[in-house]
Amino acid sequence: MFSLQRSEMFIATNASPMLSLLLGAKPDSRTLVMKKRLRSYGALRLDKGRQAINISLLRGEARGLFVLLTVFGSVACLAAVSFHNTALAQKRRVRKPSVQRPAVPAIDYSRFSHATKKHQGACNTCHKVPTANWKKVREYPDVADFPGHDACVSCHRQQFFKGAKPVICSDCHSKVSPRDDARFAFRNPAVPSQFLIEFPHDKHQDVIARIFRRLSVDENPPFVRTSFTSGFTSANADDKTKHYNNCEICHSPRSTTPAAPPTGWPDSFVPDAATFKDAPASHASCFSCHWKSQPPTNDNCAGCHKLADKLVMTTAAPNRLSRKFRHAREQHVAECTTCHINITKSSTLRGLKPDVPITACTECHNKDGLRQDVSKELEAIDRNRDFVCAYCHTSDVGRRDPPSSHYLIAGREAIKRKDVK
Amino acid sequence: MRTSLLNPTAILVLLLIACFCVAQTQPTPQSAGTVLRLRVRVKVGDTTRGLSRKRFFLIKGSLEQNKTLVDEMLQRPFISRDCYYRGAGASERLINWLRENDCESVYCRELQPGDVEGPEAIPEFQTAMTAGEKEYGSRELARKWLTTNLPEKLRDGFYKGHQFGIEGTIKQAEALSGAKVLSVMTDRNGTAYFTDLEPGTYTLSNIIPTELGATSLMWNCEVKVKQDDRAFEKPFLIMNRQEKNVKCVALERPLPVCEK
Repeated sequence: MFSLQRSEMFIATNASPMLSLLLGAKPDSRTLVMKKRLRSYGALRLDKGRQAINISLLRGEARGLFVLLTVFGSVACLAAVSFHNTALAQKRRVRKPSVQRPAVPAIDYSRFSHATKKHQGACNTCHKVPTANWKKVREYPDVADFPGHDACVSCHRQQFFKGAKPVICSDCHSKVSPRDDARFAFRNPAVPSQFLIEFPHDKHQDVIARIFRRLSVDENPPFVRTSFTSGFTSANADDKTKHYNNCEICHSPRSTTPAAPPTGWPDSFVPDAATFKDAPASHASCFSCHWKSQPPTNDNCAGCHKLADKLVMTTAAPNRLSRKFRHAREQHVAECTTCHINITKSSTLRGLKPDVPITACTECHNKDGLRQDVSKELEAIDRNRDFVCAYCHTSDVGRRDPPSSHYLIAGREAIKRKDVK
Repeated sequence: MRTSLLNPTAILVLLLIACFCVAQTQPTPQSAGTVLRLRVRVKVGDTTRGLSRKRFFLIKGSLEQNKTLVDEMLQRPFISRDCYYRGAGASERLINWLRENDCESVYCRELQPGDVEGPEAIPEFQTAMTAGEKEYGSRELARKWLTTNLPEKLRDGFYKGHQFGIEGTIKQAEALSGAKVLSVMTDRNGTAYFTDLEPGTYTLSNIIPTELGATSLMWNCEVKVKQDDRAFEKPFLIMNRQEKNVKCVALERPLPVCEK
């Protein structure tokens, strides 16, 4: 009944008085008539004398604003409901044809991942320690082969018998053929590592770096270097000794030039093998003490191997800021911690930096009356902002702004190349 | 003319003032890379030499603030290396072998052929060699991996005992000061660097007494680290005797007598 009466009202009045009311103009006689009618319907005074909303008490601008907000609010609500319904309708429409669903990426069975939840059981569920082939490929008991078929087939029977050349076989086998069981070397150096090594330098230095003895002159450090090796003389070393076995137990001089970085050697400067030191790349250095008895032992792989967040390419070229520094240069042979001052406090390899401060270099390379290598290059930048520091660095590093430590050692204020006029 | 606070210009000015105030209240970054260069020397008879490969710790706070901790370190019972290994049933040959190169454990020095065979062979090593040969099927491997067949208390029991004491003290110190205890080992010349230090007062300690001949040395000193210290000046010299430029003298005590 009420709605019918309201409809009648809209039909009975034209738009202009309505607009005048909305805009808060002074009501004319027709408007007053309309207001009267509205009051009679009870549409404007909801609860006379008690309720706050009484449009008749509002005046001018305020009244217009109130009405405007009410109308806009209503329109907004209607629009929201309409939009919601449309969206639901669209959803319903989308759900119908099943072909529209995005495809789930297929599992690449040629790439075994230790990160897969089902592959994170105890290591000896799959890996045997030592493997049956260790005597053929190693001089010591080791995990020297991939796990047997039974480690995979219990879950991956379907993939094992899929097609003539199942892709899953290529994880371990260099040739996928039922008549060829050839496998990659374990571990396959061509595949990025899924693990990082947790190695507490501080603890190892405590126990193995207590003594310094010199290698005999004809000693050529073998690949397997443990704390118990033959060929050492029993004489204590003095400060002139060329070899120190404290760090060289694991970090012997490199015998081969490292692989070039993916972008090639900067300036085509290929550092020779003696530029760098080696780092253990097998269990040889570890198992001599950690095979059994001394934790973490061979059955606790996770004691050293921590699953990495991303794949690690172990064959990458050493990351060096001063590529022209050669460890093997006679004047550079010193106690390792003379330059690598932070190593003895490091308890992990994660985030380990060689940390050689400039002061280690400037003891000789920026000394009054001896050499002024750092100061000279800083002065060259003063004259030419594009000067490339080349005494220690290749151009990828040498064209950067020298760090403040370099300026500090030269007794100068640090400047930026861009500020050089 | 009336000025309203809602004026856009006024709002902008207020915002700028607020930004400036916030920037002023941000702590100014402390200069990183403060370094303490430590030089440890010991005098035995008339000879002075650098004390190589000994670990030192830097505990936040003054000696007064760490008094309880220091008192505890000084009162802690100390068992010398010889006493420990005798108590563990080691032969005199093994004890001498360890003493020769100031070793805390059998891991610290290389094995010579004479150590496992011949008249000077060490009995414990011979037993481990025999077991290793049986297990690994190779005399060479048995020698390289000799420690894997030594009993635990002879292998590194003494070192582990020290570590237990050190770790306990570090935990206590960190709880007391709320800061991480730093540690470094001296190089062959007795030099060590503490890097990335915050300026302030620290207690330098070796936590566990260092054996030197028939005595034990205990260092507990106060070190003041200044801002912008890059260790260009003279090192912080510590010794077992009071001499010129020595900033920290060890408390030297005779080694305890072994219990039977």
